Amino acid sequence: MLLVLLPLLGPAQAFNSLLGDESILNAQTKQVNQFFRRFNGEENARGDRYYPSDKDYRSPELRRKYLNGLFDQQNASMTDPMRDSFTKDVLSSGNPQFLNFHGGQWFAEVTTRFLYQGKDENITLFMKLEQEKLGYKWVISSVYFKHFHLMFNNNQESGSHFLHPLSHELDFMNLVRVFKDKEYVDLYTEKEYQPDYLTLFLYEFKKGNLRFKNVSKVKFHFFQINGWYFELSEFNRPGSNSGWLISGLMKIDENQKELLLKYILHE
Amino acid sequence: MTKILGILAALIFFSAGNTWAQDDISPSRKQAIDSLALEKVRDLSKYISIVGNKDTPWSEANRVIERTLELFADGALMGVSSLSREEVNYYGVREYLERLMALNYDKVNISWYKIQYISDLERQPDGRYVGVITIYQRFEGTTKEGLRYVDVTKKDITVYVERKTTQISGRIIGFWDVLLGDIRVSETKPG
Amino acid sequence: MMNTGNPLRFKFAGKFRMFLVMMLIVSLGASFTSCKSSKKAAKKKAAMELAEKTAKAKADLLAIINDDGRMTLEEKEFKLATIKRMNLEDQEVKDLIVQAEDVLARERAAVERRKEEERMQREKEARERELREGGQFKAINLSLDAVASASDVSSANARIREAMAAFAGDDVPVLILISSDGDIKDYDRPTTIRKYLEFIKDQKKSPNKVLNAVLDNNGKIKELELIKK
Repeated sequence: MLLVLLPLLGPAQAFNSLLGDESILNAQTKQVNQFFRRFNGEENARGDRYYPSDKDYRSPELRRKYLNGLFDQQNASMTDPMRDSFTKDVLSSGNPQFLNFHGGQWFAEVTTRFLYQGKDENITLFMKLEQEKLGYKWVISSVYFKHFHLMFNNNQESGSHFLHPLSHELDFMNLVRVFKDKEYVDLYTEKEYQPDYLTLFLYEFKKGNLRFKNVSKVKFHFFQINGWYFELSEFNRPGSNSGWLISGLMKIDENQKELLLKYILHE
Repeated sequence: MTKILGILAALIFFSAGNTWAQDDISPSRKQAIDSLALEKVRDLSKYISIVGNKDTPWSEANRVIERTLELFADGALMGVSSLSREEVNYYGVREYLERLMALNYDKVNISWYKIQYISDLERQPDGRYVGVITIYQRFEGTTKEGLRYVDVTKKDITVYVERKTTQISGRIIGFWDVLLGDIRVSETKPG
Repeated sequence: MMNTGNPLRFKFAGKFRMFLVMMLIVSLGASFTSCKSSKKAAKKKAAMELAEKTAKAKADLLAIINDDGRMTLEEKEFKLATIKRMNLEDQEVKDLIVQAEDVLARERAAVERRKEEERMQREKEARERELREGGQFKAINLSLDAVASASDVSSANARIREAMAAFAGDDVPVLILISSDGDIKDYDRPTTIRKYLEFIKDQKKSPNKVLNAVLDNNGKIKELELIKK
């Protein structure tokens, strides 16, 4: 489709000198979609889509070339040996790995601004793709809001905060003590109790206590590659190593994946 | 029994693939639809240039704003951020264009980079296809006093594509309704 | 060993020697004879060659006359020319040459006729195309292009007014064909002629040309179908 480049924008050519080097814009990973296609080797250097019948579709040479440019090169924590090891795993000739848009095991972390009790507050929404009827949609799967977490920072050691086992004989008259103090009320819940922050968030929103302002940051977490986790962020900066790039990389096994997931979700 | 069959049929239908790449539309048709979507984005770029141009008569600019709005789905928003202020401000398309028209520069020059990126078209729950086309714009405004303001913005433009039919003098015409949706405008550093 | 020799061997050797002597005599005798009759032989050889040539020419001519398409016309013409160059005096050959010339002339005429027909067909198609693309719709195409290339808003508006004269009204539907794949035809969202002309004016480009136009009883266009140039 890029074959029809023609006169997009009429006198654009005349502005070339003003517009600087367009090859740098071309090199940038301009969309998350482009990150997927480059990672998988599914487009040419100009961004034209390759189809499975094309010779270079998903070719290891093409993927190697693209993969090198898909890391944030200013991030020293991703060392060369680490990146090489990741690339080697991804391009393994016996079992090459590809990213799959509809394959799950990746989600977005969206930092939003809400007005809460008269102040701007950050609320993090975790979002994932979900299939419905004819297609897909992004849905909110969980939420992190500092104030909720502070409020429900539940210490499971009840100490002196419990209802003694014969409270029933007194028609639970001692509940009066439970609800005297906001601080300790969660200590009177069952062991398995987990606060549902998403419900809480929706409740606060519906009560009119939260007012959406805007989105301030978006990044993605990928668990699709066996033995690896990586984070995808957008780098709005000059130069060709910009746009959507891998901003964090970790070699992890399945157990560590669970732990890391809990950490990311603030669980 | 019919219920079970219905569910089965639905399952088969839903598993038949939801991305552009997987359905049975031939590559040449897809390319034609992609080109059509890109044409709409080019048309939008041209309209923006006309509205922004200080030489465009007021009545012409207003007419062009109406034509521009016809490119968009109802309620489409522009989400704008700058390098100095990362948070996004939201404008309706009409509001955005009217602000562009009213900008207090003596001379405005809007040009477009030749780079564009077209995402895959993905199917959404209602069956419509959605894609994003990214283009880059350079804006230069000069005040009467000769002060120059320049910015470069990346525009990620939502494109909805839907197959529809209509009747024209008794004939059934199948057409692709391409409508633009929300646009994310972010200031960027080129080069 | 020879001297002590076995009698059989000796006997054989004696016979062998005799054979050699005989051969010598025969060959000497032969050369002696040929020397004597060389002129006669040459004449005979020439006659034989001529007979061969004539026979070959006859066969070739018959092949040309009876050819069922195995040879190209050019091949046959080349063969006939070669035979004619031999100037053979044989009457049968002469008759066959006349026949072959007749056959080839007819074939040549047929080929020329076919070429001419093809040329005529091409010209007819070109005329039709011209009529379709240039002729019949030329005026509309030019009026569309004129709007796109107008130098300013007021002249563009004037060109729109001129173009509108060919149409039944502002709301005449305009269809733009974006792809056709067998029976499936894909169009852009239908628009109207007024909007399309304004679009051309704003975009300063005329990307489509007329594919078909339906006229009303007054000869005005009531439906326009366009296709990408």
